[in-house]
Amino acid sequence: MSDRITVEELAELMKKAAGVTVAPDELQRRSDSGFDTFGLDSLGLLGIVGELENRYGTPMPPDAEKSKSPRQFLELVNSALLAGA
Amino acid sequence: MSAPHPRRAAVTGIGVVAPNGTNTEAFWKATMEGVAVLDRITRDGCEHLPLRVAGQIRDFDPPAAIEERYLVQTDRFTHFAMAAADLALDDAGLGRSDTDAAPFSVGVVTAAGSGGGEFGQRELQQLWGKGSRFVGPYQSIAWFYAASTGQISIRRGLKGPCGVVASDEAGGLDALAHAARAVRRGTDVMVAGATEAPLAPYSMVCQLGYEELSTVDEPDRAYRPFTTAACGFVPAEGGAMLVVEAEGSARERGVPVRATLAGHAATFTGASRWRESREGLAQAIRGALDEAGCAPEEIDVVFADALGVPEADRAEALAIADALGPHGTRVPVTAPKTAVGRAYGAAPVLDVATAVLAMEHGLIPPTPNVFDICHDLDLVTVRARAAEVRTALVLSRGLMGSNAALVLRRGAAGAS
Repeated sequence: MSDRITVEELAELMKKAAGVTVAPDELQRRSDSGFDTFGLDSLGLLGIVGELENRYGTPMPPDAEKSKSPRQFLELVNSALLAGA
Repeated sequence: MSAPHPRRAAVTGIGVVAPNGTNTEAFWKATMEGVAVLDRITRDGCEHLPLRVAGQIRDFDPPAAIEERYLVQTDRFTHFAMAAADLALDDAGLGRSDTDAAPFSVGVVTAAGSGGGEFGQRELQQLWGKGSRFVGPYQSIAWFYAASTGQISIRRGLKGPCGVVASDEAGGLDALAHAARAVRRGTDVMVAGATEAPLAPYSMVCQLGYEELSTVDEPDRAYRPFTTAACGFVPAEGGAMLVVEAEGSARERGVPVRATLAGHAATFTGASRWRESREGLAQAIRGALDEAGCAPEEIDVVFADALGVPEADRAEALAIADALGPHGTRVPVTAPKTAVGRAYGAAPVLDVATAVLAMEHGLIPPTPNVFDICHDLDLVTVRARAAEVRTALVLSRGLMGSNAALVLRRGAAGAS
């Protein structure tokens, strides 16, 4: 586990927390598309935030669960992890 | 308030997921043949409980029926509901492109007796085992009584009026009546019914307090209503969803009107007050007949509630006699649910599905495991009885005191 959350890890979490299957390279390519276009709803994203907080033992920024796109989400959570490191 | 040409509510599609069949054809075949499928409960974590026999669904493969993103956020009772809704819509000839063309014309209403107990147990174990941060957010919706209505609506893109009825076992009939009212008010199509999944450890422990529950561990002796050996009821999982559609809409689409929901009424007489249920059930029957404009003699078959508790069975037999008069002792009565158990709110919906199929096939299915009747009823036992069924009466009572009756009339399609 690195100190940065990658698209691979996000794809794995989307599958685990919300049952949404998306390939990491597609998530990378469409990282500005809305989470809804991948079939992920707001409760699914909230579950991913909770899972990350449990994994890394640190709170995520309050706005993380409101992120619209994978890029926005990764930027937010990674800056939080960096600041916490 | 009666319009000169009321919009009649027709049944145009049936979807069943039951212990004796996970599609409508298999269900009807087993029901007609009187195949009892009650068995020892084998679900993980349930084997040590004093409730031993139930109607378990063993051949339902959720991932084969439902997309993963809907599976992870829903309980088993909603898996059954989504699968049954697909079967019903398919049976009615309503594909995704049809409902997408008029999404506001299609609504959903379900009944639920207990919601998503298995999902809830898993998340509560996380809460007490690991802490609140380990409870998934889908717990907020998956346990809820309204979950199946919401998920069917979202998954199929149905944007018409939606609702949920939480009124005990009889809620299954109340949900169909709700759907019929929505159709009369102008909605073309309602997907309506109920499913339950009460066979997980937490849910089963919740049921152990019901004094009406049978704890007999021999499957063919555990649920025998209307006999001197009546020892309570056994639970079941599964249920049915129906497509309830305006008769005119069915005509326009060129699909058969298989039956019409002609009349319904509901009453309440208090939890486990079975003697009082006589008056409540009789009143519900009179109300349903009145709304249907139906004389007692027109009833060709009664689908009994058949609780399997002597006092409740007596009250039901007397209620039938009170409401139907001398016809009450002559009309064929059946309780096919002795083959599968009582799926709480879904039990009367399975009976409505069976009633429609009985009208179409001219066959009244039997009451398995029931032989020597100790009430003045013409109960259909052992094998199916050939009969012309034009009008059926379905009865339901709940452990918490609700009573309901529904009158169905055969549709033009069933007249052949």
